[in-house]
Amino acid sequence: MIKTQDLTKIFQTDEIETSALNSVNFNVQKGEFVAIMGPSGCGKSTLLNIVGLLDNPTSGSYLFNGVDVSQMRESQRTKLRKGNIGFVFQSFNLIDELNVYENVEMPLIYLKMSASERKARVEAILERMKISHRRKHFPRQLSGGQQQRVAIARAVAANPGLILADEPTGNLDSKNGLEVMNLLTELNREGTTIVMVTHSMHDADFAHRIVNLFDGQIITEVKKQMGE
Amino acid sequence: MKNIFKSTFRNFVRKPATNLINLLGLAVSLAMVIILSVYSYSELTTDNYHKNGDRLYLYADMSGRMYMPAILKDQIDLNVPEVESAVRLAGSWEPPVFQAGDHDPITSDLVFADVDFFKLFTYEAVEGNLENALKEPMTVVLTQSLANKLFGKDHALGKTVKMNNDKELTVSAVINEPKANTSLKFSAITSNSTRKIVQANGDEFTDWGWCDFQTFILLKEGVKPDETAKKITALFPKNKDDQQDYSKLKLNPFKEVYFSQFSLFGSDYLHCGDKRKVMILILVAAMVLMIALINFINISSSQWVDKIRQTGVLKVIGARRSNILWNVLFEAFSLFIMSLTLAVILVGVAAPVIGNYTGIHFNQHLLYSPVFLLISLAGTFTLSVIFSLVPAFRISSSRAVDNLKKTVENRSSNSIFRGVLVSAQFIIAIVLIAFTVLVQKQVNFGSSNLGFNQDNIIGIKLTPQLSQKREVLKKLLEEKPIIEKISFTQYYPGKFFSHWGSNQVIDGEKKQFSFDTFNADASFFGMTGLQLTQGRFFSDDLTTDKNKMVVNETFVRDHKLKNPLGTKMVMGMEVDAGLSEIVGIVKDFHYKSFNQPIGSLVIQNKSYASYCLVGLNSIDFQSLHHSLEEIKKISDGLSPAFPVEISFLDQAVEKMYQSELQFRRTFSLFAGCAIVICCLGILAMSIFACQRRIKEIGIRKVNGARISEVIAMLNKDFVKWVIIAFVIATPIAWYAMHKWLENFAYKTELSWWIFAMAGFLALGIALLTVSWQSWKAATRNPVEALRYE
Repeated sequence: MIKTQDLTKIFQTDEIETSALNSVNFNVQKGEFVAIMGPSGCGKSTLLNIVGLLDNPTSGSYLFNGVDVSQMRESQRTKLRKGNIGFVFQSFNLIDELNVYENVEMPLIYLKMSASERKARVEAILERMKISHRRKHFPRQLSGGQQQRVAIARAVAANPGLILADEPTGNLDSKNGLEVMNLLTELNREGTTIVMVTHSMHDADFAHRIVNLFDGQIITEVKKQMGE
Repeated sequence: MKNIFKSTFRNFVRKPATNLINLLGLAVSLAMVIILSVYSYSELTTDNYHKNGDRLYLYADMSGRMYMPAILKDQIDLNVPEVESAVRLAGSWEPPVFQAGDHDPITSDLVFADVDFFKLFTYEAVEGNLENALKEPMTVVLTQSLANKLFGKDHALGKTVKMNNDKELTVSAVINEPKANTSLKFSAITSNSTRKIVQANGDEFTDWGWCDFQTFILLKEGVKPDETAKKITALFPKNKDDQQDYSKLKLNPFKEVYFSQFSLFGSDYLHCGDKRKVMILILVAAMVLMIALINFINISSSQWVDKIRQTGVLKVIGARRSNILWNVLFEAFSLFIMSLTLAVILVGVAAPVIGNYTGIHFNQHLLYSPVFLLISLAGTFTLSVIFSLVPAFRISSSRAVDNLKKTVENRSSNSIFRGVLVSAQFIIAIVLIAFTVLVQKQVNFGSSNLGFNQDNIIGIKLTPQLSQKREVLKKLLEEKPIIEKISFTQYYPGKFFSHWGSNQVIDGEKKQFSFDTFNADASFFGMTGLQLTQGRFFSDDLTTDKNKMVVNETFVRDHKLKNPLGTKMVMGMEVDAGLSEIVGIVKDFHYKSFNQPIGSLVIQNKSYASYCLVGLNSIDFQSLHHSLEEIKKISDGLSPAFPVEISFLDQAVEKMYQSELQFRRTFSLFAGCAIVICCLGILAMSIFACQRRIKEIGIRKVNGARISEVIAMLNKDFVKWVIIAFVIATPIAWYAMHKWLENFAYKTELSWWIFAMAGFLALGIALLTVSWQSWKAATRNPVEALRYE
């Protein structure tokens, strides 16, 4: 599903050039659950953004479902991203002015889905995430765990094949964190590919494979035995 | 204190774009307010400077009869002791030509007045003594500028000027330039005893039937004007046939004369202004100020959020409430003061340019007078306090802990409040745009619906020398192939024509006639393209056509003529004046300004003319100007002693509408500024909106929103407010426009497209301005927006 070769990303400010990724070869198979670990500033988020088609690499190639996307224009990337990739962030990134229902509905609107179909989908997903009783509430009326469940609901609403999660439990207490991890695992079992960036070894244990990043390079890859 | 300065400066620099917008908008609007208020002040105080102004009156019916017989003054002097002095004033029929020694002749103007003129009206003498300046006949008082033109830098006193290449006048005094805000405009003034010599006119000074003068009255202290007016009116000899209405004759305070809508026949010395226009401009200034203040409120309230967080920190480290209040007020006040300074500089730089373009002139020294500075400082201070008091209290009274949290952010009531203000701005902008279009439409309507042809016609003003050599001039002009037709007439747009009143016996019935009249020859009709409704035009070939007349439709209607063709009337005051016959009726056309109703008109086939109209083959612009040069050469050669005025007829028509034109320019200039300030405002608003929604934009893009969808979302809010503004503005604009048009005798239609155009323009401007920011926000990489929380 994801195949990168010599992926390099250099950030340029006025005078300083910072190399965030350095010749990264990163592959993910369909149905995998991969955790990316490493210290702050090692390039985890940058890798995730490129994988999520939010950003272009400076050089190197990236095949997403067999299509080279490394040189695509933004509009093309947007088109490809829609319905294929869902995002979950550490800080939830819900829109404050929209209620729970509207937040989850948003990606479906951009997919030009009909209103009735949207309604059915959103209702079902809210039900599944156990927050349908909160559908009329606004993000700031919810607890952190509830907000992250809404964010996950939004990420999976369009039924994407890939979910990218950037420290999904970082702002949550352990109980809520565990709940989120269970949700992700469940989604993965149903066939959704998951790539997750995390600091927490505990969270990383849920993954099939752990990739360690340091200074923009992949240092180690640990593959766990299935069914362990 | 030092800290306040520092933080004010830093706050300004921190958000340069929006603060600069705030500053510029305020400065431009204050500049406009300064210009318009100084101009309005100067207009509204017209003629206020005469020492005896409180006792000074004009005896007239301002809505009609302005001309009085000369003998009235003699009777007032004898019979009305309440009057301290009466002075008759009259312009000259034709602008005189003055020549001093070998200098070039100069076309000027001339006012005839009685000896006491300088007792009634206050002027400063530069040379000579004003008290006796008009005592002797054949003396003249000049303004400084005319004296300089005639004599250069030499003293003018005691020297002579030749008038119309004939009689000589001695300069008895030179006066300072009259103030700009006066209804009396002249550059030379001479006595009525001189008039008897240089412009002898029948029994003008002895007969009650000759009405050529305006009579100004200086009352003694404590005298009631109404009673005195009745006494003066009683002096007119009673005549049974006289159907004139004497009841409207009054003593009108001189200070009010300027804003009375009187009309004189071509005399150029007494001018009137238009209070309505002054009021409209004051209103425009107020609206512009309002737009800028709304910008100020919008921008400063958008910065509350930032400021509240900032003051939260201050409070935590122990600042008192008053410190913070004072801080916010000081910041607002310093912004206003900077704007005012900028505005004064702007006015200094732009006033001459604006004056040239719009005809708005005012005394620039007023700008630097202490009174003005004091008033503007006080005004600025008041404005800044009023408009920053609410935010100041809100910021200073919020709790420190709340301030540090983000709970104050994104209150929907705030954004509705700002939306309402943006709507208010757009209401003003739409009304102004619609009004600008309407004023333009009315001016176009006026000059294009006059009812006669104005194109490719050149008018040569006949000087005395040209009048004598008329046939030679005609022959020389006819030799030029480019010249198609030549006509001699008394008519020229915007120039003097006669108004006659007489009693006639028609079909054995006595009737009072009153009409405008001028002479023209047969070719006048063909050249101007007047349309005949009955009868015929003159023919040059018939010697019998000498005493024929053509009248207009209004003449027939006003005088209720059943069989107009063939009607014979006595024309002229001369004893031997024969009967003239009406041979044709022309369709009504606007021989007077468009703002006046078309009057009764008689065109006489008499030879006396003051203009030679030259019709050219329709040709391109360049050869038009070439032929103008040639015509000028011919006429200058025939008139060495008198400068010849040559102009295009259409330009002369345009000149008739000078004040409309200037009003249009003034209005559109200031409306334009208002719209620019409005744009600056929404630009700032859109910058804030995008900043506020930066995270939302990022989230939406991550979730699949395309750039166009993001732009549409950001623009939607503004479009909504513009549409609301349009709905509210349309009836307001309609009402204002309707009211304005009521003042015109002939008015353009209030078409629906004016409103549509104003609405679309406003929407277009708003979209362009907002889209610029929306585009910037929508094309940002969402990763950046979401990276920092």
